[in-house]
Amino acid sequence: MSGAFKHLPIMMITLPMLGAALMPFVSYLRREAVPWVSALFLVVSGVLGLLLAGRIPPDGCVGYRLGGWEPPFGIELKVDFAGYFLMMVVCGISLLALLYSRLYIIREVEGGKITAYYVLFLLLSASMMGFVVTGDIFNLFVFMEILAISSYALVAVTGNRNAVRAAFKYLLMGAPSSIMVLLGIGLLYSATGTLNMADLAARVGETGYREVLIASFAVLVLAFMVKAAIFPLHLWLPDAHSIAPSPMSAMLSGLVVAVSAFAIARIAFSVFTVHSWGVVGTTLDALAAAGAAAVLFGGIMAIYQRDFKMMIAYSTISHMGYIVLGFTALNPEGLTGAVYHVLDHGIAKACLFLCAGNFIYRKGYRRIDQLKGAWREMPWTCFAFALAAWSVIGLPPSAGFISKWYLVYGNVKADRVPYAVVLLIGAILAAVYCFRIIYYMFFQPGEEGAWRDQVMDAPAGMLAPTWALSLATLFFGVFSYLFLDSLLKAAASLLA
Amino acid sequence: MPEGATKSVVPLFPVLLPWISLLAILLMPRKAPRLRLWLCFAGSALTFLVVILMLPGVLDGKTYYFKLASIVEGLEISLYVDTLGYYFALVLAFMWMLATLYSISYIDHKHNRFFAFLALCGSFLIGCAFSRNMFTYFIFYEMMTFGSYPLIIHEETTMARRAGYKYLVYAIAAGTVLFFAIIANYFWGGGVLNFEKWGLLSLETASRAALLTIFFTYIAGFGVKAAIMPLHGWVPDAHPAAPSPASALLSGVILKAGAFGIMRVIFNLFGIGLMKELGVHWVVAVFACITIVMASVFALTQDNLKRRLAYSSIGQVSYIILGLAMVSRDGALGGVMHLAHHALMKACLFLCAGVILVKTGKKNISEMRGIGYQLPVTMICFSVCALAMMGTPPSVGFISKWLLGSGAMQAGLPVYVVILLVSSLLNAAYFLPIIYTAFFRWEGDEEGAHHPKLDFSAENDRLMMVPVVLLALLVLVVGIWVTVPGFPYSLASRVVNLVFP
Repeated sequence: MSGAFKHLPIMMITLPMLGAALMPFVSYLRREAVPWVSALFLVVSGVLGLLLAGRIPPDGCVGYRLGGWEPPFGIELKVDFAGYFLMMVVCGISLLALLYSRLYIIREVEGGKITAYYVLFLLLSASMMGFVVTGDIFNLFVFMEILAISSYALVAVTGNRNAVRAAFKYLLMGAPSSIMVLLGIGLLYSATGTLNMADLAARVGETGYREVLIASFAVLVLAFMVKAAIFPLHLWLPDAHSIAPSPMSAMLSGLVVAVSAFAIARIAFSVFTVHSWGVVGTTLDALAAAGAAAVLFGGIMAIYQRDFKMMIAYSTISHMGYIVLGFTALNPEGLTGAVYHVLDHGIAKACLFLCAGNFIYRKGYRRIDQLKGAWREMPWTCFAFALAAWSVIGLPPSAGFISKWYLVYGNVKADRVPYAVVLLIGAILAAVYCFRIIYYMFFQPGEEGAWRDQVMDAPAGMLAPTWALSLATLFFGVFSYLFLDSLLKAAASLLA
Repeated sequence: MPEGATKSVVPLFPVLLPWISLLAILLMPRKAPRLRLWLCFAGSALTFLVVILMLPGVLDGKTYYFKLASIVEGLEISLYVDTLGYYFALVLAFMWMLATLYSISYIDHKHNRFFAFLALCGSFLIGCAFSRNMFTYFIFYEMMTFGSYPLIIHEETTMARRAGYKYLVYAIAAGTVLFFAIIANYFWGGGVLNFEKWGLLSLETASRAALLTIFFTYIAGFGVKAAIMPLHGWVPDAHPAAPSPASALLSGVILKAGAFGIMRVIFNLFGIGLMKELGVHWVVAVFACITIVMASVFALTQDNLKRRLAYSSIGQVSYIILGLAMVSRDGALGGVMHLAHHALMKACLFLCAGVILVKTGKKNISEMRGIGYQLPVTMICFSVCALAMMGTPPSVGFISKWLLGSGAMQAGLPVYVVILLVSSLLNAAYFLPIIYTAFFRWEGDEEGAHHPKLDFSAENDRLMMVPVVLLALLVLVVGIWVTVPGFPYSLASRVVNLVFP
């Protein structure tokens, strides 16, 4: 890649960071402009990303040296197709959640903190974009820390008791896991003497410190399991995701945990590589078992929830299991399924949380049985919810179906039929908890006075992002062929 | 691109035309509700017209192909019209048109929802019929499955809700099993799922255990829709709960989508030869026989007319399955033809039940004394179809049964003939009492009162009577002039000639 184009990836990451730094000034000049200007930064970042389309070879990657320093010493970005794809996903969903926040957040966050909300929001998006494309494992840690700290703060941003408690719980589990990442990286460094992923990949095979490698991988996996809320280390998730303001829940559930799960795949494939799976294979097997347990546990718990945001949060736990089961199949199909699932789960889950936000915004309802008959008053939100739920279940022709196809296929191909069956059972559980809500909303008469007879849906500024997401679940299902070929190639080259 | 196929955009039209109805519902002014419904009918009529226009080409042996999207090599979403698919599309487009017409005056509340989902299901079913591969079939099939849920619970009574719930449970489980079957087939079958060959899998590419797994997961997945016992549980609840045109479509077409799926599996994916080699046709035949007999026995005990008809459907769809499992030429021909024949008969019966319900409010057979004098045309049509169901000549039912019996003899298994005869006897046992109650009993007959006068005044609703009479006539006409081009025989015999070269 030549000329100015090679700078695009780093510009995508630094622009929102720059935005975050500028936001207090914008707020000083004109407070109402803050949401729009922050959105502008993400839009520009996204447009730069679109310029990159077609310039990333599906079976290779584009390196970028920060500040021109040579790779083993300087920080390097390695943009492969999977990373680029996820970067765009992060950018798109963040933008929609940010636009949604404009009207929603005024209700939940007091005036003075609104700017802080946008600053943290932009930092969060920037860090996630960096997180998925970085080629340096210490840089990965840095982005992860920015991501984690801004998430803790954003969970607590409303300042009420429960939010602070949930954020503290999140912090209590998150902080040790961050330290464990550092420990894992330290162990790797001690065994190989490098932090660059490509360099590590070359040296991991040669080094004699087998036990150190095993320990390091196990510690890293464990640490990221907390960040990705994979059963049994999910304890922080339901509270944090259901108590955070809805657009924030959308970010946390849709993106933060999913990119953390992807980080495990990144470490397994880009750092340890296929040659050392003999060494770290046991950890991957254990991870797969945890993933399978997560699928079932999350699904069953979701069925028993009364609060719909809690239900969506538990559904996320279940879907993190999908992603783990996908890439631990160790074949291109499984990995493609996992990456595509980050996309479609992100979109669908963000949409569900935004719909939940619409209900909370208009009516203040949080219980599932209060949704009976919601169709009469808020049809647009209900339709968006149904479409997104369609994708969560994985029914054709939504994007969820495509990723489910590849996840199950990858597992059958890897001779892991039991895990394939677990994935299918997960889909059945998803159908149970989603169809219940759809049934309540559309076919059940509501309680007297719970819903008005005339249409009074959420304001257009909130409906537009919700609908954009719900239509995206269909778009990425019907037009999945635009991406899948490249993703399969990218996955194959990651596994080569 | 399949061998010898013509690339053509025509197959796309029947899939898209029903959407006219949706546009009509969304865009037409609220003030003209009647106009909206007529536009819905126009959508379904146009669909049928386009399908009819493809008939000469299909009879010439042409196949049409249209690619919608190719996801990866071998996995594409594409439409493909071969004789078998065309045959199903023709049947269902016709049924859909009549049911839409009938619904215009039958449905009395929430028109928009009913007609929207009616059209959607029609579109998806045509998609099923025109699918080129199992992947495409599954996509349309699942959408159709969940799209028909609002049709079933349309009345929103407690009974309808329960039936809808049961339907969803069965549908979700079946969809999951089917999904697994397709993945397994895709993996062990070498990455193709296409329908254009008559036998895609073979023992050389996959192990026996794998093939058995694939076959039985397919049968279990489609068996729920095709109501093979013990997977039939949703059928007797859903039919009485749904509005009559929806029940007619459920029995006439949607149950057949399962049977059609099994046809695709047996003819195109496995092939008759491989099925024989694996010996699985025995298992299928045994289940089909059990279903045929048991469903008729259950039907005997039902007093609710639509419930009795629903059990009858369970048994009749298994005729199709039994025909396929006979692995003989005439058996397959009978099975394939019965798909259309049963659709004609059973749709008519359900539509008659709908007329009875609307005009007299009666649901149970025991209340229907003398109803033949109140609704003579309806009950004559009902009787024609009921007699046809028993296999009385000259009717479509007779043709099916004759071919199935002859197929059983070809296969050297007269025991199937016995099953068919037992079933006919049971059919007579549960249909004749209805006719008897309708025409030979009346209020006060035991005290010697003279039978009431025939009263044609109640049947003044043309929109409902036209489909009923038309179907009853077709039951006779198709049963007499069997070989007219475009009637089931012309298409089914082509299919069977390809399957048994």
